[in-house]
Amino acid sequence: MWQSPDTLVSPIMFEPGGPLEELRDGVREWCAAHVPKDWREQQRGATHQELVEFMEWWGAQLREAGLLAPHWPKEWGGGFSVREQVVIAEELARGDGPRNGLYHVGVFNVAPTLVHSGTQEQRERYLPAIWGGEVWCQGYSEPNAGSDLAGLQTRAVRDGENYVVNGQKVWTSWAKEADRCMLLARTDPDVPKHKGISCLIVDMHAPGIEVRPIRQAWGPADFNEVFFDDVIVPVDNLIGPENRGWAVASGTLAAERAVVILEAAERLRCNGIEAAIAEAAATRLEGGEPALEDSAVRELLASCYAEVQVLRRVLNEMIDDILRGADVSGTSSIIKVLYSDLLHRFTRELTALHGVAGQLDGPVLACAGWETGFWMNDYIHSFGWLIGGGTNEILRNVIGERMLGLPR
Amino acid sequence: MPLSNDERDELRATARALLGRESSPEQVRATVADAPGYDRALWDHMVELGWTSMHVAEEHGGAGCGYGDLAVVAHELGRAITPSPFLASAALATGALALADNERLAGELLASLATGESVGSVALAATDGSYDQARLTTGWQSSGGSVRLDGASAFVLDADLADVLVVAARDQDGVVAALAVDRSAPGVRVDRTATVDETRRVFTVSFDDVDVDADRMLCEPGSRASELLDEVLAIGVIVVACDATGAAEQALEHATEYAKTREQFGKPIGSFQAVKHHCADMAIAVEASRAATRGAMDDLDGDAESWLTTAAITSSYVGPACSDACARALLVHGGIGFTWEHGSHLYLKRVKLDEVLFGTPSWHRRRLADAVFPALVAS
Repeated sequence: MWQSPDTLVSPIMFEPGGPLEELRDGVREWCAAHVPKDWREQQRGATHQELVEFMEWWGAQLREAGLLAPHWPKEWGGGFSVREQVVIAEELARGDGPRNGLYHVGVFNVAPTLVHSGTQEQRERYLPAIWGGEVWCQGYSEPNAGSDLAGLQTRAVRDGENYVVNGQKVWTSWAKEADRCMLLARTDPDVPKHKGISCLIVDMHAPGIEVRPIRQAWGPADFNEVFFDDVIVPVDNLIGPENRGWAVASGTLAAERAVVILEAAERLRCNGIEAAIAEAAATRLEGGEPALEDSAVRELLASCYAEVQVLRRVLNEMIDDILRGADVSGTSSIIKVLYSDLLHRFTRELTALHGVAGQLDGPVLACAGWETGFWMNDYIHSFGWLIGGGTNEILRNVIGERMLGLPR
Repeated sequence: MPLSNDERDELRATARALLGRESSPEQVRATVADAPGYDRALWDHMVELGWTSMHVAEEHGGAGCGYGDLAVVAHELGRAITPSPFLASAALATGALALADNERLAGELLASLATGESVGSVALAATDGSYDQARLTTGWQSSGGSVRLDGASAFVLDADLADVLVVAARDQDGVVAALAVDRSAPGVRVDRTATVDETRRVFTVSFDDVDVDADRMLCEPGSRASELLDEVLAIGVIVVACDATGAAEQALEHATEYAKTREQFGKPIGSFQAVKHHCADMAIAVEASRAATRGAMDDLDGDAESWLTTAAITSSYVGPACSDACARALLVHGGIGFTWEHGSHLYLKRVKLDEVLFGTPSWHRRRLADAVFPALVAS
């Protein structure tokens, strides 16, 4: 059972529109008071249920402080500018706040999609629910539609005021816990593949849905297969027009994604690279010398440090571009490749550096993203970043075709 | 006054147009094939456009722009792989004198560097190419009211054109000094060193009992001189990274164009993923290098305390990334890319020299480690 610390100070509610530095100092102080110092120790080896309880607790802390969804419109509890969102994300990362995995899809993917493409009625119904802790999953990939996502085969057939959904999704994170799913399904099989897809809101408690956990290569099972067998979905649950789901799903979410990856990059800098530098001072190599005094180790760590600083520069430029209204679809692919390649290299090299000790295993830390607490597991975990969100190979096609104009 | 974004765009367009006319790859080849190895008329045009004075303070006859603005020119000169004394004179010698505590000396020399009346360069490296000040191979000693220099410095850009050389030297106790030396002074000798990159003109400068007035010191010898020389080195690293980024950007554009038009198996080769991914990797390297160098040049307009770290970060990433991009560009061209006649090798050679000209990425990473690790370990 997650033990909440009893040292909580009275809640603060952060408001948008003030001076950036005040917000930064405020969130920093808030983190110092609210991020439990021992959450990593407490969560190491936690059961799935304990992990969910911890995330619910952490989500509640963020909600009370007004930090759960800074990027949402003001009337729904956000209203923070992109610059303010950046400050909040940086300080949550630097303050070692746990990653908000359970609510991620709802807060960062579904809500912005509803804001951009949903009806007012949908916004009024679902945004407060997500704010209040409703868990969402995202039904995109299928066994035969991974990189070729638009080739998806899950069918939604209109029957009066409902759709009847049949098919199978895969790699669906948090599907077991989810109350709802933002689902891509084929509503017209007779048109080119991108033009026959619709985006639907599906109640995960509806009859006909079966969720089967899939264990990831690094151990835990927080993604799933989801089977839909004659699942009834009201037509009102359509997001955007019928057959326009592809555009709805790949809509204008650039700013939200930029802030999410900026937070990931800050975590890699603080909890990854900088922590590894400090740790290397206390680690001895096989010959007995402190790792940090070894020139190869120093150079490796310095090059990772330099690269994460360059990544921050690229991210900051992308955020400037977003604020100028420029198209950043190419840059966001570049940033995903840069981030994941750096994470992968860093975990691979640190695993190697730790020698056989880097191969040790034990109860993992499941709520810290790639930081499982064991280098070999961190390295295995990093493959998830190379593959998820569009494999880096597909993203290189995207960069080649959309940015450089190379032929398909 | 620093330029606005619109003014920077205008400067970029002007530079690209001028270099398109006067520094095409064909013109560069013709220029480097004969002495003196740079285009004097083009240099005069660069001076007329204010590129030697733009970041000089207004009190010294300059426009008072920033390094962030100079970055635009440095990037374009890299794109056009232009041979010119810009890096040596406008970036390095001018940058060194702008940092000098000796205001009379700075005032006198900056005014003529800004107008292009004189050309400058810097001699910071030991004969083995090291920038470690403990290993300097030019020595100085006080002798009455003057200083005598002996030894040699290597990898000095455009030394034959320079009227003034900012020289790093150390005395027998290891005390470092920074001096402005007339290249025409008796005992100064410059010898061209052949480098594979022909678009840069590199010299060894030897000093044989050269007499320099003590008031030609840029600052007090010792820790202040040491700091100043490190700052000049940082300027070099960062400006040369802009150059590399420009060259890699141009190489990317050439390779992409070729991949769109060259057909094999009945299709443009750019439709094949093996080629497309080379191009994508180049685009990633160029985009990241652009962001890194723009940010680093803006840092040069701020507090010099951050320069060493910024330069080391820049060196660690940009040189290797841009070299890799130019190597991929050559590969995308296949057999034609391996020919002398085709230009791919020119960009690769330029960028490979840029990568190490002011210290290897590896050395800069060690300096970065020395600068930032202690605080991380303590925290």
